Amino acid sequence: MDMLLLAELSINGVFVGLMYALVAAGIVLIYKTSGIANLAQGALAMMGGYAAWAFTAMVGLPIWLAIPIALAVMFLAGVALERFALRRMVGQPIIMVIMLTLGLEIMLRGVLPGLFGSAVKRLDVGIPNTPLFLGDLFLNRATLIGGSVSFVLILLAIAFFNSRLGIIMRAVSDDQSASWSVGIRVERAIAIAWGLSAMMATTAGVLWGATQGVDWSLSLLLIKALAIAILGGLDSLPGVLIAGIIVGLAESLATGILDPIVGGGTRDVVASVIIVLTLLLRPHGLFGREHIERV
Amino acid sequence: MFYRRAGIRHTRYQDERQLWPLPFDRRLAILIFLLALAAPFIVDRLYLVSYLLPWIIWSTAALGLNFLMGGAGQIHLGYGAVMAIGAYCSVHMVRAGVPFEIAMIAGGLLSAAVGMIFGAAALRVKGLYLAMATLAMQYIVDFVIIQFPAISGGTQATIQVPRVSFLGVPIVGDRPTYYVALFVCVVVTLFMLNVRRSSFGRALAAVREKDYAAAVIGVNTFRYKLLAFWVSSFIGGVVGSVLAVCYYRAISPDQFHLDLSISLVAMVIVGGLGSVLGSFFGAALILFAPILLNQFVGFLSSEFGLAITSDLRSHLPLMLYGAMIVGFLLWEPLGLAKIYANMRNYFLVWPFRHARQ
Amino acid sequence: MERRTFLTGTAAAALVSQMPITIARAQDKVIKFAMPQDFTKVYTFVTAEYSQGQRDYISLINARGGINGYTIEADVSDHGNDLPRAIEAYERAKTEGAVLIDPLSTPVARALVPRVLEDEINMVTAFSGRSDAADGTAFPYVMPLSPNYWTQAGLLIDYFRQKDGDLNGKKICFVHIDTPFGKEPLPILEKLAEQQGFELVTFPYTPPGNDQSAIWPQVRRARPDWVMFWGAGVGQTTALTEAVRNGMDMSRMSSSVWISESDMEVAGAQDVTGVLKVEPCASGRDPKPIQDILAEVVEPGNGAGPEEKVGTSYYNYGVMITAIIIEGVRKAIEKAPDGPVTGPWLNDGLHSIRDFDADGMIPPVTITPEDHQGGGMARIAHWDGEKFVADTDFFTANQDVVWEEIRKYSEEFKKTGE
Repeated sequence: MDMLLLAELSINGVFVGLMYALVAAGIVLIYKTSGIANLAQGALAMMGGYAAWAFTAMVGLPIWLAIPIALAVMFLAGVALERFALRRMVGQPIIMVIMLTLGLEIMLRGVLPGLFGSAVKRLDVGIPNTPLFLGDLFLNRATLIGGSVSFVLILLAIAFFNSRLGIIMRAVSDDQSASWSVGIRVERAIAIAWGLSAMMATTAGVLWGATQGVDWSLSLLLIKALAIAILGGLDSLPGVLIAGIIVGLAESLATGILDPIVGGGTRDVVASVIIVLTLLLRPHGLFGREHIERV
Repeated sequence: MFYRRAGIRHTRYQDERQLWPLPFDRRLAILIFLLALAAPFIVDRLYLVSYLLPWIIWSTAALGLNFLMGGAGQIHLGYGAVMAIGAYCSVHMVRAGVPFEIAMIAGGLLSAAVGMIFGAAALRVKGLYLAMATLAMQYIVDFVIIQFPAISGGTQATIQVPRVSFLGVPIVGDRPTYYVALFVCVVVTLFMLNVRRSSFGRALAAVREKDYAAAVIGVNTFRYKLLAFWVSSFIGGVVGSVLAVCYYRAISPDQFHLDLSISLVAMVIVGGLGSVLGSFFGAALILFAPILLNQFVGFLSSEFGLAITSDLRSHLPLMLYGAMIVGFLLWEPLGLAKIYANMRNYFLVWPFRHARQ
Repeated sequence: MERRTFLTGTAAAALVSQMPITIARAQDKVIKFAMPQDFTKVYTFVTAEYSQGQRDYISLINARGGINGYTIEADVSDHGNDLPRAIEAYERAKTEGAVLIDPLSTPVARALVPRVLEDEINMVTAFSGRSDAADGTAFPYVMPLSPNYWTQAGLLIDYFRQKDGDLNGKKICFVHIDTPFGKEPLPILEKLAEQQGFELVTFPYTPPGNDQSAIWPQVRRARPDWVMFWGAGVGQTTALTEAVRNGMDMSRMSSSVWISESDMEVAGAQDVTGVLKVEPCASGRDPKPIQDILAEVVEPGNGAGPEEKVGTSYYNYGVMITAIIIEGVRKAIEKAPDGPVTGPWLNDGLHSIRDFDADGMIPPVTITPEDHQGGGMARIAHWDGEKFVADTDFFTANQDVVWEEIRKYSEEFKKTGE
């Protein structure tokens, strides 16, 4: 195995991992504020991809205008989801909430292809596909830009948690009743978390949609995002960043090194093994807060 | 009405403790059992083969999963993989000439062994994290089955199930297959009904409610969690082999993918966590809702000429199906079993609106 | 009271269970096809267009008064690639007297094989299902009616040989989805590599293939003479996009029948100029059957879907397969004009198809009780930026290796499956 290929795979892995981390960050955002694991995050990414496509192809807007509009629409959609579905589930066992988000995912997977057509849609965000060479080193322009955008967005999310609204959200995640008692509008904070997370999903949907086209399979981003969220710790945004890079690297290198040995695509198995190992060795993830249970 | 309890006096403790203390419930159960026995002779073949048979098999699987999720409170998103292990093990054994009865049990044992390893994860984590651990198990098992041609059956990745016989009766044609499935279903159902009345079931209930609290009152949570995984995976393995032999008759890896696991979890939850009856209701709803919705939408569009695109037409059932799951969770989180119980209670105290239980 | 409850209960249960199943024996001259296909899950990329082609061709035949007074009735439904639903659809079709089923899904076709063999209902497994079903002696009622994946791989290799003169010492990369479907061509490729002396390098990617970013740098570094990418749906568009990003020579990239105009659009129609594919039938709107459909079905407003889809690759596949089936019906009526319309009746007809070419749209197809593949002919076409243009005539190649493999598996099936 020559070093150049290894370098290529590593760089590529880091940036792809960051693109996955963007979906994971949405999961973490929601978990942090409301303690709900949103398994419909992949479906939200699909919805975002469809929204961006609809505004360009059906309404005819230029892409730089369509994406902000799609983001705004998805923010509202996220808020609505929380208001009309998730809020009613407060106090139910965790498995019910998980199932509810799964049900939402099934529904979205019917609604969007049903309304917009199931054929793969082209989404051109204007990133040229021509290869980029640094000497002999090949770089993938789309992943570079996508990964950088994700990186910036996650940094922004971290910064956001240090703003006034972010501190309110942290208070909510610490103790909902206590937040209520000091006059924080808990419902609003959770709704905003959902809206923001839907926006992150949209960005991810657009970035991935530019590579693979927009169709229902965008919702499959969920599994990888879960692995990253678990490894980083479900309530840690910086954890997502680090875990995204680790998972991306591991997968990319596994594809390069393990695949020829095993003779099969090991990518998803690496993610699964990472989940299992994390759970066995460090259940709360690399940076997650250890959960202390009261009896 | 129907379920009245007036005039029913239990004079012995056994009477109170029987499975169905009310005569009406008891008779209803017997009637349903008799109907299930007679079904091949009174029901059209189409309904027997494509509705009753899968319903029975999926209900049995849902029961096995419900034992774990409703009985012991452990989430499992990899039950499809458990069934795959049982199915592949028993089919390979049958092909090697082992009698089906033994192969079925062996499939269950292998599933139980592997399932317990993943159950070990449950000792460290719970709730959402356990869901993820079992999800990962699903992917790992899928990968192993596909990557080893010796397991999956070569390039075509399909293994035909040879003709086998069960307790001396060859499983050929519709009726014998149905009866084999029914037999397994009845055994599992009886086990599920009775386990709650045993110390084992009560220990599991304690673990489900709060494992630390259970440990404090002297329940060995380590042992009971593992046992719960063992039993549930054993049932899963047996159902897997029944599924392969009685229903699919040719197995390939994609039959046991994540979709199967998720639909089983949906059955358990929509039916009602921990409810035996609910598993049957849930299985029926999740299995047949897409089919019936599809026929309904098809009927609407052909009769009334719904002016919709074919994409919308084909995705409408999926939307309704998702909406149904969401709707059930929002409006009746305790599942279909609770709806039945509400109706039963209504009749129990009829003509009064409610009464002290 | 109690007894009465019981009696009414039993009666009601018995009534419900005997819900009438409409068996359409009323109008005698109807031939029923069942087309439960996957519109919503895995095969979404092809089903809508394929089914549109099928329905339009059937409308065309019926609009012309059917065949000898027989009209065709196709029951199209969605099985979502879910086996219980597919089996339900199959059993329903059987009860309703369908003589042919076209599930267009490999998992479903595999699961239905034992049933159709037992029930003697013809199952079309065009471009899906078991490759070894080409051996009619082992699978009398399974009808691929199209070149299977082994043949397609063999054709591509032969095309490379035609272009390069000799493949000795060349390097061919096979990038495939890591599922049974993706791994299927491997034995053929390995055998051909041994025969012709080229080096075969394989790159499996994880299904469904929406992330192949780590695969293509390796493919580029391997500096292959030819690349075959084997996937479906999103795996294909991603493969194309990543190949472009890696600066691969697109005119040396090739794939099976599963690549269409819309995949090219998604990857950027101009960027992927030159990509090769296996064409089992002519594409575009020029072939006569498509012209007929446009004039007699779409023009009067009876088209089954959007007009712009008429003439796309997958649409034409649907027309092609239906045309072959209808030809089988014709032959069956020739042999036994009064039926009865049953599975074996149609099976007989399908087995009598000789050199049928649908007015030049498809290669001459001959189905015999031994060969269900129909001769294994196809052509290689390349993408010129707007449409696929044929590079070769319909031809066949490497069939000896393919049939060796087919027999190997069908023998095994004969031994173990009954």
